[in-house]
Amino acid sequence: MPTAGLKTIIALSFVLAVGFLLVILSCALWHSYYPLLVVATYVVAPLPNWICSHCANPDDFVESSGAAVLDLGRFCTGFLVVMGIALPIVLAHSNAITIPAMVMSVIGGLLIYGTIISFAMFFQEEQEF
Amino acid sequence: MSEDRLWKFRRPEWLNSIWARNAGVYGAGGLFSLAFYILLDSAVWSKSALNGSTIHVTFVDWLPFIFSSLGMLIINSVEKARLSADSFSYSGSGVAWKARVVLFLGFAALAGGLAGGVTVFVLKFIVPGVPFPALTMGVEVMVSAMIVGLSTVILWVSQNIEDEYSYNLSL
Repeated sequence: MPTAGLKTIIALSFVLAVGFLLVILSCALWHSYYPLLVVATYVVAPLPNWICSHCANPDDFVESSGAAVLDLGRFCTGFLVVMGIALPIVLAHSNAITIPAMVMSVIGGLLIYGTIISFAMFFQEEQEF
Repeated sequence: MSEDRLWKFRRPEWLNSIWARNAGVYGAGGLFSLAFYILLDSAVWSKSALNGSTIHVTFVDWLPFIFSSLGMLIINSVEKARLSADSFSYSGSGVAWKARVVLFLGFAALAGGLAGGVTVFVLKFIVPGVPFPALTMGVEVMVSAMIVGLSTVILWVSQNIEDEYSYNLSL
């Protein structure tokens, strides 16, 4: 994983573009722009984890208030990740969007989130020290 | 550690890792989100054109979920370390007692939410004999309260794993 070079960046940006393409296509083909919320959800999803990891003191293991803040961030991230899948299903269940639009936006959202996560995983090493 | 163990069966070793604890917390957040969106689905479906019946989701249907979430918030805000401390060990002013009272209130709210979900389901949907596509709303109200309870259990267990982990670390 430390050898994350140019090919990784190109592959990740390609996957990100495919994800955005699927989500925007699922909106534009049926003229119903609700699935764009999925993009917003997955962009916001890593933020609670990131904010809470900066709030907590990682040396503070005995007094577990630092770990509680970390847990809160993880909880919110888990909430948002499932929200990105659940939102198109809710919309499709009440006919706000069609079933193919739901499938496309779920797949596109997962691709976008996977890109964000793997980008953070590949390039975490340099930020650590 | 092995002398003052209460239960016969140990927790398996793989559960004591930081990985299992993080997965538990993420899973609890995901389950809570699932519960919220199941309830939101019933509300959205109720106002959509698909709902042919006159039954609609009102504030009453949201109440079980609200109470369950309140109970979850209370239960998981209590510091677990204060709970196991006896009153003479290091929490002299009866912190353990207070923690138990607050925890009792939390569990009461959680169980009240569960019971309220079943009550709404029976009184609003079963007793008037609502037919099936509208009955889904009642089922979703009940199921969402149950999933919040499950999420609370998972979050509680994961935080206990965290205590074991920090214990091992402090040794």
